[in-house]
Amino acid sequence: MRNSWLIALREWKERISARSFLMLSILGPLSVIGLIYMLFALGGQTKQHWNVLIADPAGIMENKILSREDDAVSYSFADGYLEIEEFEKGKRFQEFDALLEINEKILSNKTAYVFFREKPSMRMQTRIQYQAERRLEEVLVKEFTKFSISEFRKIKQPLTLGFRNVYDPNDKSSDLRGWVGLFYGTVIFIFIFLFGMTILRSVSREKSNRIVEVLLGCVNPKQLMLGKIIGIGLAAFFQFIIWVIFIGLGLYLMRENLFPNLLDASNMNIPQLSNEVLAQTSQEQFFSAREYNEFVELVYERINFTFMTGYFILFFIVGYFFYGTLFASIGASSGSESDGQQFVLPLIFMLCFALYSGYFALQYPESSLSTLFHYLPFTSPVVVMVKLSQGYPIGHFYELFLSLLLLLLSSLAVLSIAGRIYANGILQFGHRVRLKHLFRWMRY
Amino acid sequence: MLEIQKISKSFYRKLALDDVSLTINQGEIFGLLGPNGAGKTTLIRIINKIVESDKGSIRFNGDLMTHKHLSEIGYLPEERGLYKSMTVENHALFLGQLRGLSKADVKLKLNYWLEKFNIQDWRNKRIEELSKGMAQKVQFICTVLHEPQLLILDEPFSGFDPINVELIKQELIEMKSKGKTIILSSHNMESVEAICDRVALIHESKKIIDGKISTLQEERKKGEYAIKFRGSMIAFVNALWTGFEIVDKEILGDDKFIVRVKMRGENRFDDLLKVLIGQIKMEAVWEVLPSMQEIFIDLVQPKVELKNEK
Repeated sequence: MRNSWLIALREWKERISARSFLMLSILGPLSVIGLIYMLFALGGQTKQHWNVLIADPAGIMENKILSREDDAVSYSFADGYLEIEEFEKGKRFQEFDALLEINEKILSNKTAYVFFREKPSMRMQTRIQYQAERRLEEVLVKEFTKFSISEFRKIKQPLTLGFRNVYDPNDKSSDLRGWVGLFYGTVIFIFIFLFGMTILRSVSREKSNRIVEVLLGCVNPKQLMLGKIIGIGLAAFFQFIIWVIFIGLGLYLMRENLFPNLLDASNMNIPQLSNEVLAQTSQEQFFSAREYNEFVELVYERINFTFMTGYFILFFIVGYFFYGTLFASIGASSGSESDGQQFVLPLIFMLCFALYSGYFALQYPESSLSTLFHYLPFTSPVVVMVKLSQGYPIGHFYELFLSLLLLLLSSLAVLSIAGRIYANGILQFGHRVRLKHLFRWMRY
Repeated sequence: MLEIQKISKSFYRKLALDDVSLTINQGEIFGLLGPNGAGKTTLIRIINKIVESDKGSIRFNGDLMTHKHLSEIGYLPEERGLYKSMTVENHALFLGQLRGLSKADVKLKLNYWLEKFNIQDWRNKRIEELSKGMAQKVQFICTVLHEPQLLILDEPFSGFDPINVELIKQELIEMKSKGKTIILSSHNMESVEAICDRVALIHESKKIIDGKISTLQEERKKGEYAIKFRGSMIAFVNALWTGFEIVDKEILGDDKFIVRVKMRGENRFDDLLKVLIGQIKMEAVWEVLPSMQEIFIDLVQPKVELKNEK
């Protein structure tokens, strides 16, 4: 293990002193920050008045929702039970932009759905959610508890409001949080691709400059492969940390300088604020701050970065090992630096497919294919990120660990098979690598 | 020091080594000779645990050879390289630590070698800044840095410039005098036989002969002598009678020759000398011993001819 570590350290030093590493450390976060800024500056600035119909057959809200008028949203209550199809097609419902469906289960599962005709902005989604939640609090406090509203807020479960397209209720891509997951997944795969190719190039360069046999006189092929993957992985991780710091710093500076009022809005949820203040002053502040756009809201308020980044790191590490060993074995089996490139294509295809599976899971989270992609080792890092950002249903969080376990076991299996290809291929020079070689090396 | 017992190795269906046994003694320079593709590199890789043998075993100082013995071995492969972007010192640190040395030890020993080769100012140079000959010295230093008990050099002089060849030969002789064991492998037998104590010839995956060079030569000499003389070639030929035949001659000048003669029957070389004295002016006389190359061809040729006939 000491030798693997020495190899890893050498590899790490070489990578981080490379000019490309420096370039990626600067350009990568800059492009992400630039992209976020563009979304902030350009996205979702149109104001719109929304007519929302509330179907509340159980009369939980008692036909009341707002304590005062809101310029942006008007609410009406439907009489009795309303089918979604009826809302979709019924002439008298066409004036309504969305249907908020409240049934008696909301008291226990704190979940409700909004069926919209045209996708509401994040700001509008927040507004509707906020207003529904406040009203629900009032009802719950009045009906079921002896607490005051401010006391109740300290212990309450937040309302989960799902937004669905009324014309395609299975399409859940309207949930912006899912896109954040896809972004995380994409970052995982960009890193895996970039650093996987680095592994491949590094292995084939060691072969072509013939240092490899000197190394094999000191360490066995698996130690060498592992050291290389760990070293390059450390460089990738270091790169990622730099990204996180720069992007975090960029977001902070943007918040401080470009969107400073947002800080006021974040004070809004402090429970000590009295009920009256909440109802009158802060609510206005809250919405005025939300006038920026949905992305500002999304980035600063909605995403639990620490939580997401924690799982990102786990899946990044195991996913990197899964693909890294494959890249290493292809590098080792090539006869020259240019040879073996054709075997990279299936890997690139796998990576692209993984990204597509993330997009698919975003569109159709409950389809059985999405479940399959959630567990397939070569797609799971992206799909899990998407699912994580959308939120696992209560009691289903174990699915994430199951997927991680499967990915881990597959990585170990791939490490063993790819390790054999690596060990057999690393001392073969000047040949044209063929598929039959790979299969033959796998067996010995 | 090293006992190689009945080693066999196949790569898929191709036999690379067939039942090879060898013993290499402490403090000797052992030559592993044979044409390209004979199996020398495979045997060396098996000793270095880079490749596992199918059959047989290797004992290192009496113990069954394992990975832990690798720190006692210095290995300079035929296909050798360095990381171009690393400095000489970093290279030595990396390879030295892989061989089990501490950082401080590497620096100490690197100082010794840099001073010995008078190349102290190379320490912080990157490999890509060095010439090929300079890089070869660095490769050699990195191989011997950890003072291995056994040094294995595969085709050590191929690609080395003549100055480095001489330098390394001298180093090897010095290391031998300190009790180190050295294995040299080469297809160019003349390049290594001069410094080897014992050799083994490997051909088509089999060991065909091994032993002390002087013994092998003695056993296979053909009764040939070389005579370097001044005078007339006609006088030299006239002096011979049927008991001797001229095998080869080399004209060094108008009246200067080296002639190789072979005894016939029971005739002795001193009989010839008696006849020649007075006829020519002899400058040197020596017994012609076969080179390893000739011994190898003698051993292999009949098999090749037999194969061709079949």
